Parts: sequence; C-alpha cells; structure tokens
Amino acid sequence: MSDDIILDFRNVTKRFPGVTALDNVSMQIRRGEIHGLCGENGAGKSTLMKILSGVYPYGTYEGSVIYEGKELNLGAGAIRQARDEGIAIVYQELTLVPNMTVGENVFLGKEPSVNGSIDWSELYANTRDILAKYRLDVSPQAVVKHLGVGKMQMVEIAKALSENAKILILDEPTSALTESEIDKLMEILENLRGHGVTCIYITHKLEEFFRITDSVTILRDGKTVTTQPTRQLTQEKLVSYMVGREMKERFPRGHRQPREVIFEVADLQAVDPNETSRTVLDGVTFNLRRGEILGIAGLMGSGRTELVTTIFGEYGKITGGVIKLEGEEVHISDARDAMHKGISLVPEDRKGQGLVLMQSILKNISLANLDQFSAFFRIDADAEMVAATQQAKSLGVKAPNLQAQVDSLSGGNQQKVVIAKWLLSNPKILIMDDPTRGIDVGAKYEIYKLMNDLAERGVAIIMISSELEEVLGMSDRIMVMHEGRSTLTLDIAEASQERIMALATGIADEILPV
Amino acid sequence: MAVSTNVNAPKPTTGIGAELGRRFRSNIQTYTIILALVAIWALFAVLTNGSFLTAQNVSNLFRQMTVTSFLAIGMVFVIVTGNIDLSVGKLAGFVSVVAAYFQANVWYQMMPNQPLIAAILSILIGVGVGVLFGVLQGYIIAYLNVPAFIVTLGGMFILNGLILLVTQGKTIPANQPYFSEIAQGYLPPLAGWVIAAIVVVFLFWNMFRSRQSRARHGFELPNLGLEMAATIFFSLLVIGYVYWVNQYRGVQTPVLLLAITALIMAYVSNNTRFGRYAYAIGGNREASRLSGINIRRSVFLIFVLMGLLSGVAGIVLASYVGYGTTAAGQGYELDAIASAILGGTSTLGGVGTVFGALIGSLIMSSLTTGLQMLNVAPAWQYLVKGGVLVLAVYADVYFKKNR
Repeated sequence: MSDDIILDFRNVTKRFPGVTALDNVSMQIRRGEIHGLCGENGAGKSTLMKILSGVYPYGTYEGSVIYEGKELNLGAGAIRQARDEGIAIVYQELTLVPNMTVGENVFLGKEPSVNGSIDWSELYANTRDILAKYRLDVSPQAVVKHLGVGKMQMVEIAKALSENAKILILDEPTSALTESEIDKLMEILENLRGHGVTCIYITHKLEEFFRITDSVTILRDGKTVTTQPTRQLTQEKLVSYMVGREMKERFPRGHRQPREVIFEVADLQAVDPNETSRTVLDGVTFNLRRGEILGIAGLMGSGRTELVTTIFGEYGKITGGVIKLEGEEVHISDARDAMHKGISLVPEDRKGQGLVLMQSILKNISLANLDQFSAFFRIDADAEMVAATQQAKSLGVKAPNLQAQVDSLSGGNQQKVVIAKWLLSNPKILIMDDPTRGIDVGAKYEIYKLMNDLAERGVAIIMISSELEEVLGMSDRIMVMHEGRSTLTLDIAEASQERIMALATGIADEILPV
Repeated sequence: MAVSTNVNAPKPTTGIGAELGRRFRSNIQTYTIILALVAIWALFAVLTNGSFLTAQNVSNLFRQMTVTSFLAIGMVFVIVTGNIDLSVGKLAGFVSVVAAYFQANVWYQMMPNQPLIAAILSILIGVGVGVLFGVLQGYIIAYLNVPAFIVTLGGMFILNGLILLVTQGKTIPANQPYFSEIAQGYLPPLAGWVIAAIVVVFLFWNMFRSRQSRARHGFELPNLGLEMAATIFFSLLVIGYVYWVNQYRGVQTPVLLLAITALIMAYVSNNTRFGRYAYAIGGNREASRLSGINIRRSVFLIFVLMGLLSGVAGIVLASYVGYGTTAAGQGYELDAIASAILGGTSTLGGVGTVFGALIGSLIMSSLTTGLQMLNVAPAWQYLVKGGVLVLAVYADVYFKKNR
C-alpha cells in the first residue's frame, strides 16, 4: 500500500429535482487499499457509486472525479466504458441472468469469439481459470438459477474480476451471505489486495469494516463526515459519525416476561414442493412462548427460511411431524389460513415478496387485510385509511402522505410498511425473516424497539437473522439450525457467538466449553 | 435521526399554481393522452373545415367506439394482472353471429310475434356464450397453468372456426325491432337532460361527501377551489356532450350502456377486493401470494369478466352492424389492446385505468373517422394508427425519464 491516489473525488455535488444527493463530497482512495464506505441509507453512497459506474455520466454532476491522474469523463450510457476503464461493480441486487450458465454470465457482453461465433471452449476454460484462481467452488457449466445466493455472489465477483478490474466496488456484498461464505469473501478480498486491486467496500454490517478495510469514509446526508484509517476507529465512533450522535446501545433491551407456550413444532419434516426428492426440513423441534423473541440462527441453506415459509403454508410439503397452536394440532394450508390462525410473516425479500413497489403506502398496508374493510363487495375506503394511518403512525413511517409510492421510500421505511401490513391483522405470532436486512442503523434501532414493544404486549416473535450480533442482542432464546434440522435451543444466558457457530456448522456442541 | 412521524403533518400552504403543478406531474400520462386527443380533434376539425365536429359526426364517432371500448375495459384488467387476451375480437364476433342466428332463425320459428322477448333472450344467450368461453379460457389459464397468450391464441382460432360453422359462410340479419335499438337507438332529448342532471348532482354530492369523510377522520383536505373547478369541469363536459348530441338525435343507447359499464368497472377496479387484487398480482405476484391472495381464483375471474364484456361487445356489435358476418370482430382484439395501452396500461402489469382505456379507444376511433372523412386510403389509416400508438408510448417513456 502506498500514498498513491488512484481515485480522487473533488467537491462532487449531485442534484436531483428537489434533493441534493451529494453535497460537496471529497474523498481520496489509495491504490491497493480496501476502502470502506459507510453511511445510513440515503447518505449518498449509491449515488457516489453510480457516478463511478457511469449511470450518472460526466456533466450531470458538479465537481470532478480524478481517476488514474486524469478526469473521469464517462459519456451517457457509459456503463460499458466504466468497465473498460477498469471500474467494476458488484451490486447489492444480483444482476445475473438466471437461465444462463456461470460461464455465460461471467462473459456476458464480452464473449470470446472466432469468426463471429462464440468460442465456447475458450469461454468455459477462462471461466474455470478465474474460478480456480480465487477458489470459488462453482462449476462453470452450472445454470445460475440452481445456485444459492452465496454462490451467485461468487459468480458476480468472478464476473467483475474477469474484466481485469482495477477498482472493484462491492455494494453490500454480504447482506445475503452466511458466515462461512463471508469468511470466504474476506479471503478473496485479502487475495485481491495482494494483487494490487483497489476495493471500495459498502456495507451496513459495521464489524466488517474492522475485519477487512484499511480506511473508512463516512457519509451523512450527502456530505463527507470524515475519512479515517480503520485502526483509529471503533464501532461506537463509527455509529456516532453516521447518525451524528452517540448511540448508547445498538440493541435496546426490553423488559418482558415470556408467558405460556403458544406454538409448538415437533420433529417437522418437509420436502421441496417442486422437487419432492429433496428434503428441506429434516426434523425441526422448538416451542415459542407468548411475549418472547425466539431467534433462529443458522447458515444460509440450513433451512431457516424454508422452516418459516413451511409453517406459513407457502413452501414445503410437510411429510412428518406435528405443529400445535395453543395446544391444538393445526394444518396450515396457505398464507390466508395462517393469517386467520393469527400468524403473520414478514418475508425475507422486502422488494420481491413484501411490497408492491408501484403502489401507494396505503394500498400496501391494507393489501393482506382488505377483508377487514370489506362489506359485501365494497371496500370501506375510510376504514382502510384510518387503520393504515394508525399503523403507519405507530411504526413511524416517514413519508409525505400515505398516497406516496413505496418505491420512493428508503429501505428502512419500506420495511416499516411491510411490518405495518403484517401487524394490521393483529397477529398472535409474528415471524420476521431477516427484518433488518439492508437497512440503516437508525431504522434498525426503531425496528428493534418495535419488536420489544410487541413482545411486551404478548406477541410471540420468531426472528431469523444472518447477523449473529443481532440474534444475540434481541432474542430471549436462540434456536440453531443445521442442514434442515434443529440442533439446540439456547437460552440467551448460555448463548455466545462461538457456541452458535459451533452448532450451526455442525461441530459437536459438547466439545466446546459453555 | 428524527423518530417523529410526518404522515399527517399539515403541509405548508401552497398556492393553487403549485398544487396544479404537483397534480400535473403525478398524472402526466393522463394529461398527455387527453392533450393528444384534443390535438387530434383540432387537427381534424381544421382539415375537414369543421365538419368533424358537427353533432352528427360526434354522435357517430362515439357510437362507433363502443364495441372496442367494452373490450378495452376488460383488457385493462387482463393486462393489469400481467396477462393478455387475443381472443376477444373473435369472441365478440362469435357472440354477434350467435345472437344474429337466434334472432333470424330460432325465435322467429318459436314465437313470431314477440320481438321484445326475443331480443332479451338473444342478449342473455350472447352474454352467456361470452361468459362460458371466459370460464373455459380462465380455467385453463389459471388452474392448468397454460400461458394466457397461448390459450387465447388458440381460442382465437377456435372461435374463427365456430363463426364459420354458425354462419355457414353466409351473412345473418340481426336488424329486428328492439334488438337493433341496442346499438342504434337514441334517447329522447329530455331523457338525456335528466341523465345529465343526475350525473352533475352526483358529482357534487360525491365531492362533498368525500371531503366530509376526510375531514371527519382528520385527514388533509385537497384544495377546495381546485376540487370545485374539477367537478365543474366534468359537469360541463357531461352537459356539453348531451347538448351536442341532442343537436342530432339524442344520447346514443350504446354510449349510455358503455358509460354505465365503465363507471361500474372503474368502481370495481379501485373499491373492491377483486379490483385491488388484480393490481396487486400484476404489481408483485409473490407479495400478493404471501398476502394470502388466491391468485388462481383472481386470474380466473378476470377472464370470466373479460368473457362477459366480450359478450356485451358482441351483442352491441350485432345490433350495430345489423348482421352477423364471417368477418365479425376481426382485428378488434388489437384495437382493444392498443386502446388500453394508449390509455396508460403497462404491459408489465400492475398499472392501468378504465378511464385511460376509454380515452385510448376514443383516440383510435377518432383517427378512423377523421381519416375516413379525409378520404385517406385504408392502407394509410393503418400506418397512421400504428405510428400514433408507438409515438404515444414513446412520449410517455420520454416524459417519465425527464420528469
């Protein structure tokens, strides 16, 4: 690492009608370093990266970007040009073509060709070399849609690396990865640093800055707060820079007293409905008490999401085991049935499963509960408005009014809308699948407080989370899953990151000290 | 970070100008299409030395648009759910020949002197045939998971065959008393004025009722002056229309029928679960499923509704033409799709309005009538219509990007 500056943002300002997304941002990135970019949603990180990648071409912003000693001058539609210059981005939302193979995806838009037709053997050989070089455990011929999210991410990175990127921008690369996949990613990044590739690393998981980055720039409300070497920072400092004030605790503690068991699952077994030879749940046992938060931990692919969607009646075909609600055995046929029985599910993928993005906040909140407001055929618009307004208020949804489209909201506010929607049915059991994924620290905090409030009011909450700190910070008990099975349910007092990881990775629990 | 909620925060007072600007931006598509309509009318009015806007021509223009408008209204729902229906033109055509067949051959034998009952029975049978075919296609699409494009493409071929079977290649008359009133009748001028009066009273009543209810619940009220202006504007439109067509022969029965259908469907689209679910499914199928919406049932019902509206269109068609012919309904599905899309329906699903489709349909039929009056050859009429469709959608894409 040197003081050689590869990329220099000088007083960059980007305005949209009515909003200044970037306000005089200056930032320097040294060659070969991993540079963290930190800030809440809406702080301007994405806008900055869109300037780098040519989505906002030269001339649509003020100030200048000096790349490799000269002004970065990307024309309109310059995404291709940015890639040729050696700037590659791995986006938070994966941009792979699901029906194509890994190799086709890696070389999409730059297929090696002989006499105008694609040279397939060259393409697959090159793909294999890239994958091997960075120890990515994927077959070049595998069709992308059959891969898990973690592997897709690896393909994205391989794709970026195949372009001989000088700067690799990673936008929330770990938001969908398991701990072991994150470890692997970190290895890859170390490796890249060794090869002199510069990385810009964007994440909401603060601990990752300390794990991998050399320096961190903090943005707030479109302005640079500071750039500091990572070793001079602490998590608390980082958070206070981000929100502009000290945040005493990341996880508010509730004062709740879990009550009687409301929900029991015993030895639940299920198969993939589309591929009945594939077992997704292979013996899951746990119980849930009123007024508690039960965390479900486990690696990606351990069956966490499959478990909750199966309980909700929307995924697995149950082949064995018993589900009891308030002591009675129940068979839940679909989402509607689950809701009638008092179970709500805040799904994992906010945009894909939770919201109708082009519709208003109002319509999104009421969608699952229109029955409540309907008499015969007619929807009582007043009742709908009153109920939705009340929910939006109690959750602190920030929007000009309820007619605003949800895709104009920030991630945190969108998530609040999803939660509002699922609280409207007054559930007894609220299942939340990764409720704080990809949202900023402030909004996370509000959602944690809300969860505490709900639990205090007697709602039983199941929370899936990929972040161990979150599981440990919020849960009363933690059920750990491994390969479709439940291992142990730990009381919060006996749980630790090490112990959960040991259970989740299948290392025998007994050999570890408690 | 502020934890306060701004959901109901009172807005700073803004002038009518700012409010108008905001509304214009949020409804840019609707305004673009209305402006396009006005421009087209103005152009034809000039080119035809005013005869385009004579009472007789306007009356015929509106009467002409009705058949495809019924189809376009249904098509909005179909496209909004992310589907397509290619069979509607032929279905309307088939209904029209079935109705004509019963009018000409069956009732005459069974009850020679009962034209009213015969007409009513023909309507029921025609609409029934439409619904039945909708049930069949809807079932195959929703429950057997065959893509709508393919099912309705097949349906189009099948219906074409059925039309030939029923007509035996001949033209069947359907110009009997009562039955021909459906598309060729006019209301007496006084009845037209009564309807206009009812509509105007309803518009004002509705405005005040909704303001009252918003006030009661403590919601922010839209600018009164602006709402008044809008209500007065729509009232004047209705009054002006009735005045204009009364100069000729009065309000046209099929237009009245269309207006009632459109009002009902506009209401259904926004104020019933059926309508809301259609938009939600088109907007995000997965989110809808997890919200407990029965997607199969919704899609099935959409196609049944499309069948019903095709049935109505077929009856109007038979009455309008006065015959059931082998070419009945030919190409109407494309007019219906074009009207819906001109009116702002997104082919990606989730977006579209009944009102927009009507304007789209009116543009299509204005182009046809206007070009015919200018003696433009049919070949050029097609070229112009195709060009306008693509241009209109491009204009929309352009404005959205540069908003």
